[in-house]
Amino acid sequence: MGDVHELPRPRVATGHLAQHIGQPVCFVGRVEKIHPTGKLFVLSDGEGKHTTVELSEPLDEEISGVIEVVGRVTNRATIMCMSYVQFREDKSPFDLELYNEALKIIHEFPEYFPFG
Amino acid sequence: QRIRSQNIVPCTVSQLLAAEQADETFRIRDVEISQVTIVGVIRHAEKAPTNILYKVDDMTAAPMDVRQWVDTDEAGGENVVVPPGTYVKVAGHLRSFQNKKSLVAFKIMPLENMNEFTTHILEIVNAHMILRKNLVSASRMPQSFSSAGIGDVGGYGGGGSLPVNGLTAHQSQVLNLIKNCPVPEGMSLQELKLQLHNMSMSTIKQAVEFLSSEGHIYSTVDDDHYKSTDAE
Repeated sequence: MGDVHELPRPRVATGHLAQHIGQPVCFVGRVEKIHPTGKLFVLSDGEGKHTTVELSEPLDEEISGVIEVVGRVTNRATIMCMSYVQFREDKSPFDLELYNEALKIIHEFPEYFPFG
Repeated sequence: QRIRSQNIVPCTVSQLLAAEQADETFRIRDVEISQVTIVGVIRHAEKAPTNILYKVDDMTAAPMDVRQWVDTDEAGGENVVVPPGTYVKVAGHLRSFQNKKSLVAFKIMPLENMNEFTTHILEIVNAHMILRKNLVSASRMPQSFSSAGIGDVGGYGGGGSLPVNGLTAHQSQVLNLIKNCPVPEGMSLQELKLQLHNMSMSTIKQAVEFLSSEGHIYSTVDDDHYKSTDAE
C-alpha cells in the first residue's frame, strides 16, 4: 500500500472520484453526517455533492465543519481515509464554493499546477 | 540574457522539485527564481538548537523540508514551533543540497483564514501562466513583473465595452463601414454582418439603433439599409 503522503494526491471533487479509482487523492468537504460507529462519514463538496469517507479505525474525536481528507479512492468511489485535517473557521468561514472553482481551474491548467 | 523574477513567486512543491538548477540558481520555465511562497500543512516539526525543521505538505508531491533558523540570542519564545496539522504559508529561498531540494524560510505564517489557501492556488496558476507568457513573448530582456497577477495589461480586446469619443468599439466599427459605403441606398444589415465576422446580428442591430438615435446614420429604402449623416 505504501504511505500515500509521500505521493502526489490530486485535489478532487465528488465528480472526479470515478476517474481516480485506486489512486491517492485529496478531498475537501463539509461534514454532513457521521455514522454512529464512527468509521464512516459523509462530506459535501463545493457543488453540494456527497462523498463517503471510510476509516480503518473509528474517529476518536468530534469532527465538524470543513475537513480535508487524504486517502485512496475505493472501487465503490468512496475514499479510504489515511489522514484528515480540520480547516479552521474560528476567524472566517471557508468558502467551499470558491475552492470548487479553484479546482476547476487547476484541472483545466495542470501545466501550471502539477501533481507530481 | 537572464530573465530574473524580482518578486516572490507562489509555487507548488512539485514545481520547486522540478525547477532546474544551474550553479547557484534555479529556473522555472527559464525564469530565475529565488524567493518563493508555498502553502501547505505541517506534517512534522523537529526543533534543534539552531533551527526548526518542518515538513510542509501541499499534496502536489511528498512534503518538503523547510528549515527556519532560530535566533539563538533571543531569550526563548520568538521561534515557537508550529504544531503538525497546522496550515501555513511559507516564504523562503529554494536551496538544493546533495540533490535534495529544500526551503530556507524567512517567514512561516499559520493561516488564520483558510480562504488564503484557496487564493494561493489561484495565484500559483496565475503567476506561472504569466511566467510562461513572458517567456513566449520573445523579448529576452530582464523583466520585472508582478506575480500578483497584473502582468501585461494588454488592452481590453475587441470587447467594445470602453467608449472612445462617445462610441464603443462596436459602434465605431459599424459607423465606419456605413460611412465608407458608396452605394446610394446605403449599407444593409446583412452586409454589415458579412463584414463584421466577430459581431452577432443582435450586437450589430443594437449598434445601428444607437447610431441612428444619436443621428450618425439614417435609414433609407427600409429599416435594413443605412447611410451616414456625415457627407463624405
